[in-house]
Amino acid sequence: MPFEPKEPQKEIKYEETRIYTDAELNSYTDEELRNFKIKHKIPDLEELENGPWPSFVADAKQEALHRRKLANERMLIDRDVVEDMLGQLQVSFDDGETHWKHGGIVGVFGYGGGVIGRYSDLPEIYSSIAHFHTIRVNQPASKFYNSDFLRTICDLWEYRGSGLMNLHGSTGDLVLLGTITEQLEPIFFELTHVLGQDIGGSGSNLRTPSCCIGKARCEFACYDTQNLCYELTQYYQDELHRPAFPYKFKLKFDGCPNGCVASMARSDMSFIGTWRDDIRIDQDAVKAYIAGYVVPNGGAHIGRDWGKFDIQKEVINLCPARCMSLVDDELIIDNKECTRCMHCINVMPKALKPGKDNGLSILLGAKAPILEGAQMATLIVPFMKAEPPYDNIKEFIEKVWEFWIEEGKNRERLGELMQRTGLPKFLETIGLPPAPQMIKTPRENPYILWKEEDVPGGWNRNVNEYRSKHKR
Amino acid sequence: MALSLDRLGIFDPKDPLKDRLTDLGPRHFWQYFPPVIQNNYGKWAYHEVLETGVLMHVSETGDKVYTVRCGAARFMTVQHVREICEIADQYCDGFVRFTTRNNIEFLVDSVEKLEVLKKDLESRKFVSGSYKFPIGGTGAGVTNIVHTQGYIHCHTPATDASSMVKAVSDELFKYFQGMTLPAKVRVSMACCLNMCGAVHCSDIALLGNHRKPPIVDHEVIDKVCEIPLAIAACPVGAISPDKTPEGGKTVKIKKERCMFCGNCYTMCQALPLSDKEGDGVTILAGGKISNRISEPKFSKVVVPWLPNNFPRFPEVVETVKKILEVYAADANKYERLGDWAERIGWEKFFEKTGLEFTEHLIDDYRLAYDTWRTSTQFKYTAAAWDVSRAAGEGFCNG
Amino acid sequence: MDELKKIIVEFAETSKKTKFYFKDIEKAVQKVNPDAKMREIKKACTALINEGTMIYFSTGSSTMYGLKGRGMTEDPQ
Repeated sequence: MPFEPKEPQKEIKYEETRIYTDAELNSYTDEELRNFKIKHKIPDLEELENGPWPSFVADAKQEALHRRKLANERMLIDRDVVEDMLGQLQVSFDDGETHWKHGGIVGVFGYGGGVIGRYSDLPEIYSSIAHFHTIRVNQPASKFYNSDFLRTICDLWEYRGSGLMNLHGSTGDLVLLGTITEQLEPIFFELTHVLGQDIGGSGSNLRTPSCCIGKARCEFACYDTQNLCYELTQYYQDELHRPAFPYKFKLKFDGCPNGCVASMARSDMSFIGTWRDDIRIDQDAVKAYIAGYVVPNGGAHIGRDWGKFDIQKEVINLCPARCMSLVDDELIIDNKECTRCMHCINVMPKALKPGKDNGLSILLGAKAPILEGAQMATLIVPFMKAEPPYDNIKEFIEKVWEFWIEEGKNRERLGELMQRTGLPKFLETIGLPPAPQMIKTPRENPYILWKEEDVPGGWNRNVNEYRSKHKR
Repeated sequence: MALSLDRLGIFDPKDPLKDRLTDLGPRHFWQYFPPVIQNNYGKWAYHEVLETGVLMHVSETGDKVYTVRCGAARFMTVQHVREICEIADQYCDGFVRFTTRNNIEFLVDSVEKLEVLKKDLESRKFVSGSYKFPIGGTGAGVTNIVHTQGYIHCHTPATDASSMVKAVSDELFKYFQGMTLPAKVRVSMACCLNMCGAVHCSDIALLGNHRKPPIVDHEVIDKVCEIPLAIAACPVGAISPDKTPEGGKTVKIKKERCMFCGNCYTMCQALPLSDKEGDGVTILAGGKISNRISEPKFSKVVVPWLPNNFPRFPEVVETVKKILEVYAADANKYERLGDWAERIGWEKFFEKTGLEFTEHLIDDYRLAYDTWRTSTQFKYTAAAWDVSRAAGEGFCNG
Repeated sequence: MDELKKIIVEFAETSKKTKFYFKDIEKAVQKVNPDAKMREIKKACTALINEGTMIYFSTGSSTMYGLKGRGMTEDPQ
């Protein structure tokens, strides 16, 4: 499905956008880097340059040296930011405590999120990082980029910021770490005008939605995760930038029950691809797996000798629903008993595929521990089609938001509210019938919160009438 | 359009609404797909991990795409990103992708391109010796450790993230570059209970944890905080209004009630709780996200606290290694760490790993009862005999 | 819209607090005008932000509204 923009999207060509010359970008040699010492003593950090894993310290020193070589007018914030950041990090190790202060009211005009204020509490020593604010840049769905875009971001961020970033933050944004208050608006204007690119969410907003790789490079994707993620991010821009929620709200999109973006654990509303027809079976490929012609599990276990592939032991016996059997080398699946856990499909991707009538399940209320303890998402909608323009999904989202905005306390996540009000009331409010799919077991305590209308005759009774039959 | 060089760029502080573009959202994903992805979108037939870190996806059209997955510190500089772009330009028509777990993926459409790309990636090292683009992170191994900001950029951490992740990743490197484990093992790290990284469903989770209640900065609390918000922030009602001797507004804290969550500090900077002796690392194990075979589950606390021994956290690294090695030797194929622990029983988990079981590992927060054992089905380990002995001398011969 | 804006400003000027969650504002407005809808109140808040009467205050995890110049509204530096 090639993209047809609703509005023309700016094409970015690095040769047009760039700030730095090739000579400026390649301004140091390995030899210089090897001999380079930053201005602070950082023995613990230098220790972290050893070992095989990519060293963030070694990388930071590249940028520190690079900034030393740039001419004064080629950077708008202090040359020393990287060195000061490393120096403060070493002191944090020495002190066993962080040296960053709370945020404040930094942001860009008219937006309630996307910028996090950060200040050093040692500004006399590390003056260049006295202000060191973060900007969250809303990543493209599933984090594909081209070099024109990334190089432009790099030039922008070296010129107006520290040159330090995260690819990516936990929620999914491309995070720019460290600039001064004065540069926030100019950076936002460069992002929007030159890059055609908005910032992401923070605070009591819809947070930047994120999705798995989906149909771009995965045979398991049961719906178009990128398209849904993009569409909803655009559709809910007002919710993303202007806070009216009790607290943060996260949307994440997994294409199948393998859950590569962990939506079930970390999004208030989790969309997980699934299907409602039968698993597609290629019996010849099944035979090829049994005969050992095809490596099982997509090769994920080839690092160790686990012996010959045994379909009975490795697939049929591990099926949680016990709905598979092998009859004369034909694999039989009793699909109405299947719980779509993906195991058999993962083990034999050449032979088995999710069904063709697919859509998604919606689960609600996951969150990290603060405050009422960690929660995993609860299954609320077993199946829904996911086709553009996704009106059914938007309608559902808005019903849930309406309930949460109405009933939620300040700083109460959706999952906490569902616990506080109880699932029955939640279902009633959003207009869904109860179903056994939503629970692990029926309730174990008998404290049923009957309502007056549940009981014939209501709750208003006459004590005299009662006493006419029962002596005091 | 070129990036502006003016100090304030195209922003006019006198008229902040002038030319302001808002609500643009992210850029559309389609333009960042390499041709082989655009041409085969939604048509992928199957995939195979050819070797650790190298994936082959085959389309119904017969097209193939080869992906080389590389580890990365999620904290990176523009210089490093420029090097990524250089590689992307040289081998991948300028395209590159990042995974949810902060790996970098380079995609090519032929085996020939794949081989030169791999060779180039393996040759790139930082001057101090660590790999810039280690290939790995696929299949039944350990992939990149997702983490949070730590001392690099956060105001509430109980430990540092980048350093701990570097130390653990160095030690687990052979599992990143090999697929020798019974199933994939997801290690995650968060520097405080806020868990920006939501690590609570990981095979192994490393978590910064405070152990001292907040200090009240009476002098400024009324100026820098909304006191009612700070009081309301406490989940256990341990904060109440108070007056300073001079009659100023402040709060007092019932220290014995504190659960060290730091939520008050998030709302009020006059209630700091980080402390060199107090702060450290909690280790959790046995969680998972995937619905494969067993249902997703939370990680469980298996080590209540280890010291912040900067910069390499030897105690943390040792513990992670121990859990991983025992699991690798003992679990069945396809069995995730939590499934293994449940099959053998948590008492056996502690026996086999040699981790100490202390009272801190028994839940005493809300709904704790759900985690207590209400059955006579258990296995005998030394810990059981210790209880029997303590309960009354008699026939115990363990 | 103008009426809602007036109610919001009056509430923000007279309240003991200086920072408000959206919900506090919504409740305050609905006390005076029970028919006011959440969406309209949000639009009024956005308008007040855009004309510079109100500002956002963010801890990073949650965002509040405040009157510009009232209470703790200065950059801590």
